[in-house]
Amino acid sequence: MSWIGKSPERKEDQRLIRGRGLFVDDKQSYGLLHLHLVRSPYAHAQILSIDVAAAEALPGVICTLTGAEVKDLMPESFMELGPEPAASIRDYPLAVGKAIFQGEPVAAVVAETPALAADGGALIEVDYDMLDAVVTAEQALEDKDILHESAGTNQTWQGVYEYGEVDKAFAEAATVVAIDRLHFHRFASTPVENNAVVAEWLPHGDLNFFCNNSFVGFAQQLLAPALGISVDQMHIKTHDIGGSFGNKISNYTQMAIAALASRKTGGRSVKWVETRTEHLLSSGHGNERTFLDTEVALDKNGVITAVRSRHIDDCGAYPRYEPLGCVIWSQVLPATYGVRNFRIDFSQAVTNKCPAVPNRGYSRMQHLWFMERIIDICAHELDIPADEMRLKNYITEFPYTTPNGCVYDSGNYPAMLEKAKELIGWDDWKKKQADARGEGRLLGIGIGTTLDSGTNNFGQARIMNPHLPFSGNSEVATIRIDLQGSVIVTLGSGPSGQSHETTASQVVAEELGISPDLVRVRSGFDTGWNTFVGHSGSYASQFAVTGLSAVHGACEKLKAEMRRLAAFILEASEEDLEFGIGDEGPQLSVKGTDQAVNYWYMGNLVNNDNAVLAGELGDVTLNIRHVYRPPFTVPDTERKYGNLTLTYAAQLHIAVIEIDRAFGHPKILAYAAVDDCGTVINPKIVGGQVHGATAHGIGAAIMEIFQYDETGNLLTSSFSDYCPITSMNMPDVQYGSIQTPSPFSYNGAKGMGEGGGAPLHTVSAAIQDALYGEGVIVRESHHSANSVFALLRDSDESTGVQVETRQ
Amino acid sequence: MYPAPFHYHRVDSLQDAISRLAELGDSARALAGGQTLLVWMKLRFDEPRHLVDLSRIPGLSDIRLEGDEVCIGALATHAEITKSAVAAAIPSVYDCGSGIADGQIRSRGTIGGALGSADPSCDWPVLLHTLDAVLTCTGPEGTRSIPVSELVEDIYTTILQPAELITGIRFRMPPENSAGAYCGFKRCAPAYPTASVAVQLTLEDDICSEVRIALGSAGLTTVTSKEAENILRGSRLTEANIDKAAQAIVAAAEPVPDQRGAEDFKRAVLHSLVKRAVDIAMRRCQGETIGVHREYV
Ligand SMILES: Cc1cc2nc3c(=O)[nH]c(=O)nc-3n(C[C@H](O)[C@H](O)[C@H](O)COP(=O)(O)OP(=O)(O)OC[C@H]3O[C@@H](n4cnc5c(N)ncnc54)[C@H](O)[C@@H]3O)c2cc1C
Repeated sequence: MSWIGKSPERKEDQRLIRGRGLFVDDKQSYGLLHLHLVRSPYAHAQILSIDVAAAEALPGVICTLTGAEVKDLMPESFMELGPEPAASIRDYPLAVGKAIFQGEPVAAVVAETPALAADGGALIEVDYDMLDAVVTAEQALEDKDILHESAGTNQTWQGVYEYGEVDKAFAEAATVVAIDRLHFHRFASTPVENNAVVAEWLPHGDLNFFCNNSFVGFAQQLLAPALGISVDQMHIKTHDIGGSFGNKISNYTQMAIAALASRKTGGRSVKWVETRTEHLLSSGHGNERTFLDTEVALDKNGVITAVRSRHIDDCGAYPRYEPLGCVIWSQVLPATYGVRNFRIDFSQAVTNKCPAVPNRGYSRMQHLWFMERIIDICAHELDIPADEMRLKNYITEFPYTTPNGCVYDSGNYPAMLEKAKELIGWDDWKKKQADARGEGRLLGIGIGTTLDSGTNNFGQARIMNPHLPFSGNSEVATIRIDLQGSVIVTLGSGPSGQSHETTASQVVAEELGISPDLVRVRSGFDTGWNTFVGHSGSYASQFAVTGLSAVHGACEKLKAEMRRLAAFILEASEEDLEFGIGDEGPQLSVKGTDQAVNYWYMGNLVNNDNAVLAGELGDVTLNIRHVYRPPFTVPDTERKYGNLTLTYAAQLHIAVIEIDRAFGHPKILAYAAVDDCGTVINPKIVGGQVHGATAHGIGAAIMEIFQYDETGNLLTSSFSDYCPITSMNMPDVQYGSIQTPSPFSYNGAKGMGEGGGAPLHTVSAAIQDALYGEGVIVRESHHSANSVFALLRDSDESTGVQVETRQ
Repeated sequence: MYPAPFHYHRVDSLQDAISRLAELGDSARALAGGQTLLVWMKLRFDEPRHLVDLSRIPGLSDIRLEGDEVCIGALATHAEITKSAVAAAIPSVYDCGSGIADGQIRSRGTIGGALGSADPSCDWPVLLHTLDAVLTCTGPEGTRSIPVSELVEDIYTTILQPAELITGIRFRMPPENSAGAYCGFKRCAPAYPTASVAVQLTLEDDICSEVRIALGSAGLTTVTSKEAENILRGSRLTEANIDKAAQAIVAAAEPVPDQRGAEDFKRAVLHSLVKRAVDIAMRRCQGETIGVHREYV
């Protein structure tokens, strides 16, 4: 029986549905203390003084910490990934000298209860001198108000990505379409569980973390030097994590405060649990990006031949994981289209807003939205039907090497379009649209095609900063047969809701010819298992490739050992053995006979009863640690050229949207989502990811935005104001899939969790289609009723688009 | 989010509540469902030293019909009212109650609290304007009746005296030929409306003999307009005069631009909702059954 492509019961559900999960806030221990952070109410302000006396005098308060104190306690500030001058940015977990975003922590209080810690926080007096706030990246690049004096500029990165013969392509173009400005807004995935950590820095020097960081391999490399501790002295564990979507990659800063607080209390456990408002205000937002002076060259058939543009990314107050985003988008440089000539001048700046963190679709989604706006606007301007325009421009040959050396493994975009059209009832809607237009109604149909590039080559970090010691990728799995004969698997991925326990057990069951319920996959992550490398974590759509390849590789090694052992026990030849389940459980048997040895016997032999082996097979331990490494080389940093990701899952969505003329309300009338992630390991889990990514994308497209005023004050810092999408806002999603197996993963699977933000492209396109006749060009990614109303109201103003036809 | 320290007092009679509140003075607040008060306390917008919990006072959550008068106790929750026979008989009550926030909030929050908080985004007060409701209030000085239109002095401020509580809400059961509608536009369930409109119409032979219109989230207090009502009263309801009435009341509105939208956008929403609510009320008057009309986003 094959377990691949099946949807067995999710292993995780047993505990999660019964309320038996273990999240950070569930952790209790004797004498546990609680941490509260005092935050800056201002976006940009000098900290003149901090008075903690009243807080420290409050009964129940154990101690406080301030930025100045933290700076003394930390041997160095957190490493910044960017090159100079961004490398000189000083980044401490509590503001030192000045606060540079609203909600930045400036002091901490440790107390016996969370409420006492908050009361203590209210007693801390901070004297601020407000400074002018820099709230857009364009404004920041003027360098009038410098956020980080140590860097001397607000620009964190700049580089030109140029491929092919751009000027020639423009000279030969039949049509050039110019778009003055496109803007991708700020939002985040708002996981159901906020950031949280319990830290315990014991007097003998070991530091224990129970946390919900989703990329521990990275976090430990930032924490160790900043805290002056070796990586091995940090024992980091996670268990259940209520979603991350990349957002929890950056909570190492709060982990550090909790650790320092624990040390100050003499090694007591200190718990910090973020509130929702804190999360929205300060835990991390997705990147906001502006695309200026875009020019698109097209031939006489409407095929895009070149794109040149200037992109400015806003990474908020601290770059941290950034400026990686300045490169990551180039994994999908041409999107799903065969454009060969590009010149993109990319820069990034800090602003007095919440720091950017990786967010589902990280950096590629912004760029894909940009490319989708281009194709869509050009189609309208050239009067080419939306579907035809895509078909003219799609990449159709695979593997496909992009102009910057990325290799798209497989795909079939026309087939996805066909399927999505079928699901939505394209021809029918086209008729209804014509009727609606006849009645003066605003009905639009939009297509969005997107990529979810997975398993990245960390060597791309060197395109951003040649001095970074990162490249390739890897993930670890261990598998062993323990002394009771149980199959035990540990993973390095530390999942946050992606069902890794289930899919890993399917792979093991497949390999060993047993069933997933006979495989125990440990929950969470634990450095104590020795199942990690620097890349270990759940991010960047890669588990199906890196994680499962590690599991698969471990199984192969285990099977080799088991074969040798069973051959010895059964006095048979290895070729005659077969894996399966017998009367006494999982076993190896001699084909065509009733001779068999079960796992218990083998596990006991190796772990308990080894004299039976009489000195043979001394290297067989039935305890395997396997590291999977994808076949990457270091990219050419000069040319910004190389294969940056291993697999390219694709999604194609179609939306039908009607806009209420009276006040702009965009109502989704029909929605289809087609997914291609190669070979599907577990259809239910893939379906869940597709629906989740669709909900996140629709939420981002029509509801969710981090809206700042000109003083850097966040207007949407509660769920009542931010309005994350709920089931009541969701249209029915017609879901379908195709499978183009990846030639680059052992199982044909592709990473697919992020989803590529397809609804953002799709909703923008549908609104464009509805409003093109009204003289509107959609140049923003956020479409609340309020913003669509403004589009309609201002439709007689400049569209920002110019078309030059030469032939 | 943790509120500042406070003392909690549970009382089991109205008299106890009033005397406790009077005794504790300014630093005390009456606690009903807590869905406004506790949120403010957690955000530390309000830091009362004492909370007097009304929820155990018997009899204050009854929903009854006395003759042709509807009586709703101040402690009746949004959910209780929505599920009551009153809501079944008066569709606008159902429209309004079922659209408040989400299930959790509806099963805690009370109609008295919605009135007492004087929040222009709360739905009940807007509806109650169109039903000409009268509030029964009891305080240290005794009991008095306050028309709902007189309760709110300014945003978050009522004319209630210290330690005076709303105990009940009364209004006349609308006659056969009268019907209302409540239409809100909100971005998602747990958000306050971007704008909302209540309408109550009475039709006599196609002529509108009586009308009430009120707007929520349209200014610092509930917005009404005699001018708009006068446009409709005594005339046949046509697209033109409905539009004119909508313009008149929207002109009286002073919506505050915020994260829910710009001022001109909110005016457009209000205008559209007035027309929609009048249309629904009109058709209900004529005997049509029309379910709630609610849109999100
Ligand atoms: C996320 C969220 C979304 C919401 N969305 C909506 C919405 O869409 N529409 C809507 O209408 N409401 C909404 N609400 C508010 C909700 O309806 C509250 O229930 C209501 O505003 C207050 O009622 P309460 O019983 O909870 O009052 P409390 O919070 O207990 O009290 C509120 C105030 O009224 C005073 N008070 C309470 N009872 C009395 C009384 N009997 N006499 C005099 N004063 C009294 C209190 O002292 C306090 O000052 C929302 C609330 C939340 C948290």
